[in-house]
Parts: sequence; C-alpha cells; structure tokens
Amino acid sequence: MNPLALMTKSDIVFVGIAIMLLPWLYIAFWGDGNSGELARIQVGKQTPVLISLQTAQRYTFAGPLGNSIIEVKDGRIRFISSPCKGKQCIHSGWLSKNGDFAACLPNLMSITVSGHHPRFDSINF
Amino acid sequence: MPTPKPIQFHTTPDDHRIAALAALAIGIHIIEAALPSPIPGVKPGLANVITLFVLFRYGWKDAAWVSLLRVLAGSLLIGSFLTPTFMLSLSGACASLAALGLLCRLNTHLPGQGLGAVGFSLIAAISHMTAQLVVARYLIIPHDGLFHLLPVLMTAAVIFGIVSGLITQSLLNHLDQQSA
Amino acid sequence: MRKFVLMHLLIAILVNSACSYQDRKNTTHNSQLLALGTLINISLWDVDENLADSVVHAVDNRLQTFHHDWQGWAPGRLADINAALASGMSITLKDDELKLLQQAISLSQSSQGLFNPAIGQLIGLWGFHSDNPAGPPPNDAAIKTLLHLNPSMSDLRLDDHELSSQNKAVQLDLGAFAKGYAIDQAVMIIKQNGIKNAIINAGGDLRAIGAHGNRPWHIGVRHPTKAGTIAAIDTQGDESIFTSGNYERFYVYEGQRYQHIIDPRTGYPSTGTLSVTVIHQDAATADAAATAIMIAGTENWQTVAHQMNIDKVMLVDEQLTVHLTPAMLKRIKFEHQPTIVLSNHSS
Repeated sequence: MNPLALMTKSDIVFVGIAIMLLPWLYIAFWGDGNSGELARIQVGKQTPVLISLQTAQRYTFAGPLGNSIIEVKDGRIRFISSPCKGKQCIHSGWLSKNGDFAACLPNLMSITVSGHHPRFDSINF
Repeated sequence: MPTPKPIQFHTTPDDHRIAALAALAIGIHIIEAALPSPIPGVKPGLANVITLFVLFRYGWKDAAWVSLLRVLAGSLLIGSFLTPTFMLSLSGACASLAALGLLCRLNTHLPGQGLGAVGFSLIAAISHMTAQLVVARYLIIPHDGLFHLLPVLMTAAVIFGIVSGLITQSLLNHLDQQSA
Repeated sequence: MRKFVLMHLLIAILVNSACSYQDRKNTTHNSQLLALGTLINISLWDVDENLADSVVHAVDNRLQTFHHDWQGWAPGRLADINAALASGMSITLKDDELKLLQQAISLSQSSQGLFNPAIGQLIGLWGFHSDNPAGPPPNDAAIKTLLHLNPSMSDLRLDDHELSSQNKAVQLDLGAFAKGYAIDQAVMIIKQNGIKNAIINAGGDLRAIGAHGNRPWHIGVRHPTKAGTIAAIDTQGDESIFTSGNYERFYVYEGQRYQHIIDPRTGYPSTGTLSVTVIHQDAATADAAATAIMIAGTENWQTVAHQMNIDKVMLVDEQLTVHLTPAMLKRIKFEHQPTIVLSNHSS
C-alpha cells in the first residue's frame, strides 16, 4: 500500500518539517561530546573572554607581569608565552577537551575549555 | 432468606464500545511495557493507534476516555500504579491528548483536507515523547545528561508517529470502504 | 467552551514549565576577584543580582583585609606579631586573631607537627617569601642551624589574649592554612546573607555549599602533570576541596626543582609526592591537612590523615600511582583508571 496515498497534503508538509528538524536535534545535543568548542579566558578581575576554538588565531592578554600569548589552532588552545618564572602554564600544553584547564596564576590568567554544556562548575588544582 | 438483589449498572452501547477499545489499548500497553527502553518507562506509545482511531471515529472525548483508562488500568494490571513509570505514561497520554485536542480545533483552518491520521499521530507522538522526557528528567534521572538521548528518542517518536498514523489511516479507510 | 479552555490551560502549563526550565538553567552568578594574592572565583546559584553584587563586595573587602593582616610580608598584623615574638616580647591579640592562632596551634598538634606554621625563617631561607622565588637554594649549614633551633607551635604561650614565645626562632608563616581560613570567613559572609548554594574558589582551592539547583556542584580535579583533569568530584552538602601540589610554587636552579612545601623535620622541600587532595568540611583544616599529608608522603600519610580526622584523601605519588582512602574512592570518579593503592587504615 502506498504510504503517500494515506497522507493528506498537510500531513506530508508536517512529516517533511519533522524529518528536516531531526538532524538539528543531533547537532544541538550531540554536537559537543567531549570536545570543547569554546575557551574561557580569565584575566584578573575582568569578565571572562570567550574564544572559539574553531578559528586559528593568536591572542595577547595583558596581566600584571606583562603580556601572555595564547594560541588557538586545530580546535585546541595553549599558552605560548608568559612572563611568569615557572612557565607552568606553558608546560600544561594543548588544551582541547571540555574541562581542560591551565592557569598562569602569577599573571592572573586562566584558560578553561568548555563545550555548550560545561562539565565542571569549578576546577580544583 | 431473601436473595440479595444484584446491583445493576445501566450501560449504554457507547460504554460498551469504549470498554472494548480500552481493553484493546490496555492489551497493547501491557505488551509495550515488556519492550526494553533506554530510559525505564519511556515508551514510543504504540497504543496510540487505538487512541487515534477512536479520535477519528468517535471524537476527542471518547479518545480521552480510552487513553486515560488505558494508562490507569494498564498500570494497575502491570502493578506500576503511581510509580514513576505511571507518571511517565500519564504525562505522555495527557500531553498527546492535549495536542490532539488542539489540532482538532486548528484542523479546520488548515488548507485542503487539513491533517489526516498521520499528521495527528506525528504531533501526538512528539508531544508524548516530550512530556515523558521532561517528567523523566525530574523524576527518574535528575541529570541534564538525560537529554543526550533526546535525538534518538525523538527520532523513534517521529518514526512511530508516522507508522501508527499510517496504520490508523489505513484502518479508517478500510472501514469506510466497507461501510460504503 | 470548557474543553477549549482546559486544553489551552494544559498547553500553557507545559510551555511554562519548559520556559522556566530554561530560566533556571542560567542563574549562576559568577564573579572574579583579585585577593589573597591570587584569582578568586565566586559562583552563586539562584541569587538575585543585587544581593549577589553586595555579597561579592563584602567578601572582597574581608579578603583584602585578611591578606593584608596575615599573608604577604609587607607591614601588617603578622609582621607585628613576628617582630614581638622575635624579640621575646608578648603581644595582645584581638578576638578573631586569637581564634585563628588557636586553630593553627590545634592543627599543628593533630598533624604531629608536620603542619608547622612556626618555621617562617626556614621558608624565608628557601626564598619563598618573595613574590618571585628563585635560587640558589640555601646551604646545608644554614638549614641545620635553623633546624636545631627547632621552632614549633608548642613554643607559643597564650595567656588570655597575650601571645608570647619561649623560642625566639619562632616566626609565623601561615601560608599553608591562611587561604583556607580566609575561605571559611568568606563562606560565613555568604551564609550570613542567606545564600545557600555557592562555590568560592581561591587559586584552585575551594569550598562549596549547597548545590547547582537539582544537581550537585561538579568539580574537576586537575591532573598534577598533564593538562586536563585527573578526576571529578560531585560535592555533597558543605565541603572544601583542597589540593597541595609540588607544582604550585617552585623554582628551578641548575636543573633541580625546589618546591615550596618544606618538611619541618628535614628542612628541605618534601619529595615523593606530586599532589594531595583532601575533602573536608572546613577549609582551614583541609588546607593544613593537605600540606601535612603531602609532607607525610607515601609512607606515613594514612596515620596523619587519621589523626587529623580527615577521611577523604587522595595522594598522587611520583609514579602517578594514586593512594586513596575508601571514603575518597566512593566520591571520586577518575577520567582514566589509574593504578590505585587503597588505604587499609580503619577510619
């Protein structure tokens, strides 16, 4: 039996819309998984800056010790240079997953990677 | 000793009809309860075929009776009355009844014949699933992680909605042909 | 007519609950402060904007004052107290100062002296009083001399509010405990304002109260050596999570790394452990305990934890083996299952 014969014009329209909307649901709820899409850069007291990890770019942020340079590439982010002594921040390497975190505390700067649904409310370190 | 008079209920043919349909729906409901599901209690709503059929043949009020009887009696028979599973069934049934009612009103304003069983069924299935997800989020898995299943469950709802709509329409056409 | 109204009512209820679900999703008030020499993050759940701002402001003020008085090496209350102790004189403490010192003394005792805030001179000798600690490390002789003088919290005498020391070598450095104490003060202010759900995170160490609406606060514990988290913890009620690590403050001199947690028994930075994470209700205790347990190291940590009444401890040693108490194992979820050594100490 022909399914189309069982449907009115409006039925077909509604079914069409429903089917077209389904992929969007997958994108909305499955888009992230564990990969991060955004990084939150906190510099001192200022409101955190949100950076997309999709566009390759270098960013310079000024802290009390001087400029820290942050690099975004291939969906990942890292500290490239920082005026602190320990360079802990740089040694943290590439951050990419939801919840990944690095900080240059002497320069009062931190990077937190999050997707649309941040995994953590706070990081203990 | 005088024999006690049996208590008599006066039933109408309408009551009989509703009871028969409800029984059918309850049967399907129980079978469906045996099906596995990613979230306990969330079901695609196969018994909706009966509800839809009643809606188209006998109107919204009867459909509401059948649907709610199905949920109530079904849960009593399965033993899930007032459990979270019951809440899920009930919320799904109420949401789809509400949506169906609304569609009945709106249908006269749609172009041409308006929506057929497939359209009604699709909307009912989506409302059913949405209500179940919301209730499941609060009663069963109080965690946003539950919504990770939403795309899959909604896909199932859409598919089941279309399929039960097709079945219902086919059934209605068949009966119309027979009486014609 | 009635059916029509009923139906619309139902729809309205459904839509409304969907919308308010959205609202509730977005009511965490986040603010950042600079205090205690580090970045402070305060998260407040479901609090009116004005109240949130005023509470954050009050917390900021308290933390600034606290830092001035107890941390850092600029003139402040601590400097005054240390000057008095060094010259053998007594000093009169205010009520809140007395409370702080009493807690420090008590924690030092229960940690078997591993948490020893009296070794300020030793810490200064290693260069960790500077904002930018650097080498060279002190020589053996200097360390031995200070060790010999054996300053400890039991040298302190408290007569009502009068503080004095029997040992002029005592110099108070509250670094291992002050942050926790300050966080406790901040949480008191938050609670006094009727707020029941909050996190205050000071440079990584935090105390959380309540929850994030219907779900607990999700805390990530950073891996001691890699980017990313080693584990996740969901808080239950009112809890502090503190981690002491050998990566927090250190300097490298001629290829050798010297970290800031000094073992009072040897006079040298503690070794063998990368980090210790403690869960405990009050932050001051958690702070001191994390330090003391780190110093105790893989050999002795269970005893120290037990004596300080800490039942949730995770210690990561230099081989990245994780030593845990059973109570901690229940609470922690690892990203990748590590090698685990479960403590058998009954608690």
